[in-house]
Amino acid sequence: MPPNGSSSVAAVWAILRKECRSEWRTRYGINAALLFAVTTLTGVSFAVGRLPDRTDLLAALLWIVLLFAALASLAHAFVREVEGHTLTFLRLVASPTAIALGKLLFNVIFLAVLEAITVPLFLILMGGPPVRWGPFLLILGLGSLALAATTTLVGAVVSQARGRGALFAAVSLPLLMVVLAAGVSGLRAQWDGNPVSAEARILLAYIAVVLGASVLLYDHLWED
Amino acid sequence: MSQAPPATAAALAVEAQGLAHLYTGRRGLLPVDFALAAPGVVAVTGPNGSGKSTLLRLLAGLLRPTAGRSLVTLDGHAMPPAARRTMLGLASPELAFYDELTSLENLAFAAEARGDRAPRAAALEALERVGLDTRAGDRVMTLSSGMKQRLRLAFALLHRPRLLLLDEPGSHLDEEGKRLVERLADEEGRRGLVVIATNEEREWRLAAERIELRGRGLGHPA
Repeated sequence: MPPNGSSSVAAVWAILRKECRSEWRTRYGINAALLFAVTTLTGVSFAVGRLPDRTDLLAALLWIVLLFAALASLAHAFVREVEGHTLTFLRLVASPTAIALGKLLFNVIFLAVLEAITVPLFLILMGGPPVRWGPFLLILGLGSLALAATTTLVGAVVSQARGRGALFAAVSLPLLMVVLAAGVSGLRAQWDGNPVSAEARILLAYIAVVLGASVLLYDHLWED
Repeated sequence: MSQAPPATAAALAVEAQGLAHLYTGRRGLLPVDFALAAPGVVAVTGPNGSGKSTLLRLLAGLLRPTAGRSLVTLDGHAMPPAARRTMLGLASPELAFYDELTSLENLAFAAEARGDRAPRAAALEALERVGLDTRAGDRVMTLSSGMKQRLRLAFALLHRPRLLLLDEPGSHLDEEGKRLVERLADEEGRRGLVVIATNEEREWRLAAERIELRGRGLGHPA
């Protein structure tokens, strides 16, 4: 009686709800992420003021703030299960793929909440040319999905390794460089009034590759 | 194995063929062979480090054997290790729950993830069965170690599994809790197969069969 498709969907949904409930109760990730984002933006704003014509710096700064604010929580999605000894519980109720997809969806929602607070604050404090909301949200959304998919995959793979902190950094750095490069280039292009289709295609292709690799890898995780 | 077998229980069989596991640098379980069939209660005994817990994790599909294989057959179909979680329940000391959630929320989450259409009702029923229904709304972090052990038992029973794997089920339990384990082993042993890993005489005496692991214990070097 292998799990069928509907039970897998139920498992993903249950894990997503559980992640949201746990985060709501503990505020484990969101408080730290918001603290980092707000203090960084405030500090940079005090130091350099508004940057209305530096679209290169604006694009880089926004992605750096989002990346570092979110990274601690995203990277620990599976480490929390290992260190809290709850991974066995999870493995007994759902397949590794369902667990990882539930956590991926939670990470996407986590990023969306973080961005809903950070991006308006960024635009207010840092200034910048008017935002073209269509291209801006397209690049932000694709970049966030790419970031969440990468950190979920790498976090799952290294979660049971010794020295997983160093391993996470070493494995995810080259992967995240692609996301950062396309994300920064795309945001700069939308502020400069240029098309963002090239960056969007790169991010879409990247997401397809990472999600494809995830589906192939997840069911072989944690067997030993 | 003396009880009258219900028609549904007879189709469950568990077999080990040269089943062994080697952790990094040390043995977890020396090769073991056995064949079991439901209904009934089987005890697994052996010194500390002989591989009792490892054996249960191998049967549950949580570990991959480094030698040999385990077979779990249900209604004539071999269950691959990755799919066994759907038909077995495991209670072991290493099983932990989410501290920030209540007992009921933890079990309802498990039932929902397994596709149960009434997860809350299933969770309440399991808690009631182990006498923890009065603490259903308490967060796990507030439970005593004995209550957490009852929660492990409730989790193992949650989806009415045909194969029940109990690792040191009486640990942390008071006298009433130990009687609960005896009652559960008797009830579940009539409708399926119960495997108890223990060195407690009171627990292994619940079993009609016994698998004695003869490793040298204490996880000696390979």
